[in-house]
Parts: sequence; C-alpha cells; structure tokens
Amino acid sequence: MTPAKNLLTYSYYPGCSLHASAKEYDESTRGLFKALGIGLKEVPDWLCCGATPAHNVDELLSLSLCAKNLSLADGVEGDLAVACAACFSRLKVTQHHLADSDAKRKQVEYAIDGKVSFDKPVKHLLEILAKDFGLDKLAATVQKPLSGLKVACYYGCLLTRPPEVPQLDCVEAPTIMERVVGAAGADTVAWSHRLECCGANFTLSRPGVVLKLSGEILASAKAAGADCLMVACPLCHGNLDIRQKEIEEATGNRFGMPVFYMTQLLALAVGVAPGKLGFDSMIVNPLPLLREKNLL
Amino acid sequence: MKHTKMTLSTETMNLGFVRKVEALSGSSVRRCFQCGKCSAGCPMRSFMEHPPNRIVRLLQLGQYERVLAGRSIWYCASCETCTTRCPNKVDLAAIMDALRKLSWDAQGPSKESYVQLANRLFLDNIRTYGRQYEMRLAAVFNVKSGQFLKDLMLGPKLITRGKLKMFHQKNRNLAEIEQIFKRIEELRKKGEAP
Repeated sequence: MTPAKNLLTYSYYPGCSLHASAKEYDESTRGLFKALGIGLKEVPDWLCCGATPAHNVDELLSLSLCAKNLSLADGVEGDLAVACAACFSRLKVTQHHLADSDAKRKQVEYAIDGKVSFDKPVKHLLEILAKDFGLDKLAATVQKPLSGLKVACYYGCLLTRPPEVPQLDCVEAPTIMERVVGAAGADTVAWSHRLECCGANFTLSRPGVVLKLSGEILASAKAAGADCLMVACPLCHGNLDIRQKEIEEATGNRFGMPVFYMTQLLALAVGVAPGKLGFDSMIVNPLPLLREKNLL
Repeated sequence: MKHTKMTLSTETMNLGFVRKVEALSGSSVRRCFQCGKCSAGCPMRSFMEHPPNRIVRLLQLGQYERVLAGRSIWYCASCETCTTRCPNKVDLAAIMDALRKLSWDAQGPSKESYVQLANRLFLDNIRTYGRQYEMRLAAVFNVKSGQFLKDLMLGPKLITRGKLKMFHQKNRNLAEIEQIFKRIEELRKKGEAP
C-alpha cells in the first residue's frame, strides 16, 4: 500500500483517548511524524473501537464497531497507523477473527451493512518506526540524543497479546520499544514488569486494583534504576501517571517517576519543540528530569 | 486458600452449560489438563476466590453455579496472559468473556459486577456520541454505583490540564452507528447471533 514515491503515507486512527485524556500522545505523534516526513491522514468520522468493555459485554458488537472503522479507513490512502495499544489490538483481533469465521463475518456484514475489509494492514506506530521507516534512518534523524536517560519500556498487555494476533514482536520477550527508543540514544533498563497488567479499566470501577498492580510496576521500574517509564497505551498512562500520587500515598513509596508516551521522547530527540509535546499535560512533572539530562 | 470439597454426581454435572460457554467463546473448556500455568501468571489472582484453572475445572465438572456465584469472573482484567501461555490452546480470556455475559444475562447486575456496569456505560456512550465521553462516563458511573465522591479530587487536576473535556463533539455518522446496535439486536431476536 506504500506509494511509489519516497514518502511514507498512512491513514491514521487516533482513538478516543487521543482526543481527550491522552491528547499529548496525539500531539507528539503528529509532531514526530511531521519531523520524519511521514504523512498521516485521519480517518474521517471514525468511531470508538469499543476497547476492552465492548468484548466484555458483547463480542459481536465489538467486532462490528471495529469492522466499521476498518471500512471507513479503506477510504483513506495508506496502511492504517494506530497509536493506542487497545485500538491496535481490537482492530487486529477483528481482522483475525473475521478472516477465520464465515459465520461471524456474515453477522458483522449484516450489522455494518457492508463488506468487511481485510486488505488494509493495521500497524502500530512502533512497527512503522522500526520496520517501515527503519531504525538506522531514525538514528540518523536524531538531533538531540536521549543519552543518559534511563528508560523503562512498558509494554502492558495489548501491544503483544493475544498470541498470533498483533505480530508486533515476540509475545513473551519483545524488544521493539527498547530498539526504537535506543535508536534515539536512550539507555533502556532491564526490568521485571514490562508485560504485567496495570489494572486496565478497573480504574473506574475498582481503583484499588489499579493501585496495587500499577504500584508494583512503578516499584519494579524504580528498583531497576529507571528515571522514567515509556508507554504506548493511554490507559496504562492514566493508571501510572494520573494515579501515581494515590499509589504513593497507598503504598508509602515515593516514585516521582514521569511516564512518557513513546512519541514524546522520540519527537524530543528528533528536534520537535518541547512546547509542542504536551509535557504540561502530564501529572508527574517531567521537566526537572529533562532539564537534569540536558534535554530541554 | 480455603479448601472446599467438590461433590460430583450426575445431578451436579451440567455439561449443557459447558457447551454454551464453548459456543460463545469459540474455545474448548474440555481441553484443559489443569497444569495451572494460567493461574501462575494471572495478575488478578489475589483478587479472585477461584484461580483461573479452578474456574475451568469447575466448568468441566458441571459446577457452573459456583463459578457464577463467585467474584472471580468480575476480576479478570482481559490481559490475555492466560490465553498466551496456555500450553493446550485454551482461550481462557474468551471463556471469561462468555462467563460474564452468561452471568449478567442470568442474574443481572450485582455489587461484584461493578466493572460490567462501567463497561455497559462505555457502550452507551458509543451509541449516543460515537466516541467516548470520559467526563460523562465517570459521572454516570459514580451516580449509578452510589459512590458519588469517588475520584472527586482527580477531576479538577485533569480539567486544568485539558485531559478531561467538559463537552463532547458528536460524530456525524451517528445514525449509522445506531443502525449497528439495532441490527445486532435484530439478529439476536431472530436467533441468528449468539
């Protein structure tokens, strides 16, 4: 689907969070891609993918919402670029399930009143950066290396799971986040909780669950000597950043650990103005750390 | 862990329920050989009274009432660790989805199923607005679950950082979205969808 000319162009599905609680992820994604010369065109009138709640309540609805999004994306040039780990997972799961089951595909085609599209590759931003754009080219574009910044790359659940679906990287021991931010000069730490669940959408119904699970993730990153966490999921970000103060109060630990979206760190490295990366939207203030590392 | 005795007789076994779970989840329940790998990796294990492998064992024995009466299914985070690691390809995450649906259909909301209330409000938002409206989701959940002051201190912090929007823009294709919901209801009424 990549056009013959040198430029990469993608259709873009931001997902609900990137227009609200994760707006810094959206801003920094657009900033980064512009700086790299990669085109992004938002899918018009995209709707919520249903994330985890939809398949919990109604699997057919979950598949139908994603199928509708895929058919809307068909009208826009380029492979589909997705930033949010949950949207990415749901869109891929839908393609996978519907290719697998004629009965389900027929039900979904009736529900969305149209054909289900399987042709357009759905790609996470990490994949685009590491595979399509290329790590060497990314490293060559870096103007302000993130040297000295010790980053704990946090995958969470849905970037790699369920097995056989995302095909982003190894399901139990992925390294794509480390490779991408490493190309921007950062030091990545080895730590235990890279793939553990943060408590997910229990943040609304049972915050206690989030305080425990996310608390363990923060403690693990700190024990490994990380300065900050890097994530690719708005829900993980909310649990680790927005609830960090509560976690500190509940556990008696002091973390003060900024939680960056991966595009914020990469955009900073390739020279996008820090004012355009939404650092002021973060609850745990990252500016002292970035100043200390001479990145501002 | 409390040890409870299982009684097994033809009266207590109900494999009809297992077949329903298997049809809904698209996964076999009967393949599980109780290695326990799912429970070993489950991040929510400490919140559950039956660990995931025991849920499957209870289903195999037809003792589904004990599964539906418990809190375990409502504490599954859908993280898919169990499904990823199962050596015999049992899709436990999908089985949990099916159990939550069957439980809700049979007994309606309960205190343990708060998370499903939140999930349902999430879907209501899609039907009404096309996209999520986080402010409304949190407010309606607090009212409906009777926790009026939950997270009250977080609100202003998020609003001043532009992370929580007071108002919401509606999609232009709302009528088409409504049609998706209606057509699925229609399929179910006709018995053509699970």
